[in-house]
Amino acid sequence: MKRYIIFFAVSFFFSISANAGGPWPQQKGIGYYKLSQWWLNFDQHYTDSGLIDPNVTTGIYNTFFYGEYGITDRLTGVINAPIFSRNFTNNLISGTTGETIVKGDALNSIGDIDLGIKYGLTKPGSAFPIAASIVFGLPTGKSVGGEQGNLQTGDGEFNQIFQIDAGKGFKIGKNINSYVSAYVGINNRTNGFSEEFRYGIEYGAGLFNQKLWLIGRLNGVESFKNGETAETINSTSIFANNTEFSSYGVEAAFYVTKQVGVSASFASAFRGEIIAAAPSYSVGVFYDLGK
Amino acid sequence: MKNLIFLIIPILFIGCIKDDILSDTVDPVLRLTQKAEAIAIDESFQFEFIYLNNVGREESVAVTWSSSAPDVISISQEGLATALSTGNSTISIEYQDENGLLTDAFEVVVGDETVEVEETQEKSGQINTTSTYALSGDFTLTAEENNLVLVFDENYNASTALPGLYVYLTNNPSTISGALEIGKVETFSGAHSYSIADVDINEYSHILYFCKPFNVKVGDGEIQDN
Repeated sequence: MKRYIIFFAVSFFFSISANAGGPWPQQKGIGYYKLSQWWLNFDQHYTDSGLIDPNVTTGIYNTFFYGEYGITDRLTGVINAPIFSRNFTNNLISGTTGETIVKGDALNSIGDIDLGIKYGLTKPGSAFPIAASIVFGLPTGKSVGGEQGNLQTGDGEFNQIFQIDAGKGFKIGKNINSYVSAYVGINNRTNGFSEEFRYGIEYGAGLFNQKLWLIGRLNGVESFKNGETAETINSTSIFANNTEFSSYGVEAAFYVTKQVGVSASFASAFRGEIIAAAPSYSVGVFYDLGK
Repeated sequence: MKNLIFLIIPILFIGCIKDDILSDTVDPVLRLTQKAEAIAIDESFQFEFIYLNNVGREESVAVTWSSSAPDVISISQEGLATALSTGNSTISIEYQDENGLLTDAFEVVVGDETVEVEETQEKSGQINTTSTYALSGDFTLTAEENNLVLVFDENYNASTALPGLYVYLTNNPSTISGALEIGKVETFSGAHSYSIADVDINEYSHILYFCKPFNVKVGDGEIQDN
């Protein structure tokens, strides 16, 4: 019996840091690693009509390990692993009697791990780098948990994401290095989930001799709406599909030493369907061997 | 020091389960449920009532019984009415709860034979969304022996985007607490029906649609007398 519930915690809310990602593969033998904590608390969500409805307060807390390693100068291995994921719901209490109507619940486990490779389609050092990536989203999390089976730390399906990144680095004035990058991708999903078109654009600027990077992002997911719905899936299952959103985000990454830094980020959907209507936050520590 | 930071970061941001407060107060209800429109002279009839408190839950309370014409029909404080002479009398019940005085009354004739008021065999109503998910349609609730049959008309429509949509019978349309779960919604448009065992047609006042994974109400409909 297939059982799926809504998965509000779209991993694209999670954002990597200034000097990883984008169309720039790592140099051979060079890596970038980041440990971060990402969290989202929401008591309302975008419905299928794009409007906002309330829901019992739900929290998702993920501890991510993100890593990039240059296998060659053009081929980089990428991992994005939620090594600890916690999904919980609050108690629902009667305002009249004080009795518990629905007891809160929590699920703790590893989340869904993304493994991928990125290949530089242009030569290293190109003025207009382009890279292609394939990422496999492994169903290592739990898709059903809690007493009512309405919690999850993974979507229970195998994603295959094909993505093209392009970007350009440039200077603003004499001292501020900056870049702009964009991507488009297709997420081929299994187990009745609809395929997705993903896109995003990012701008970053390095201040104070590139010790502080300020980054702004716009990301989006559009569902092909070609999968199952609650009407067509196995009648005993719980199923939600066709999540969409457009989100904005900002991040600050500060190099404490030449290679080690800290970062903090914020992202929030400004349009969506079947997704949390609340901001997500992330703080992290990174180790950038490319510096 | 670097290792310590790596360990502390996850610990600082573990979410804890807290409380969400639901506004679930409804108006209490006091209602005569078993009543007679006529009682034969020198015969008795046992009246019965139901009290639903301010969250719509049935509660056993001591009410005050009275007869507007005690020389025509007398009534005990247990609701046993006895016809003494020809004429009419209004049988009333009163209960004072923390929110105020609740009353119900029914006029009874003393006649040649005792006639109990027959229970309604069919009710109907219309469900409507209370969220932004689509939900609408007309329904009929019919008593068949000890069972109820809930039939939705062709104009029924519900969003297929919701995971875990369930339908309930309840006396408090704000909550599933004290509600009777009929089942998971498997039909999202058009006519369909549910059979509900061992439920009286007057037992519940509303149909409730509730999304279990979100723990949130989606829509409701009042069950009305035809």
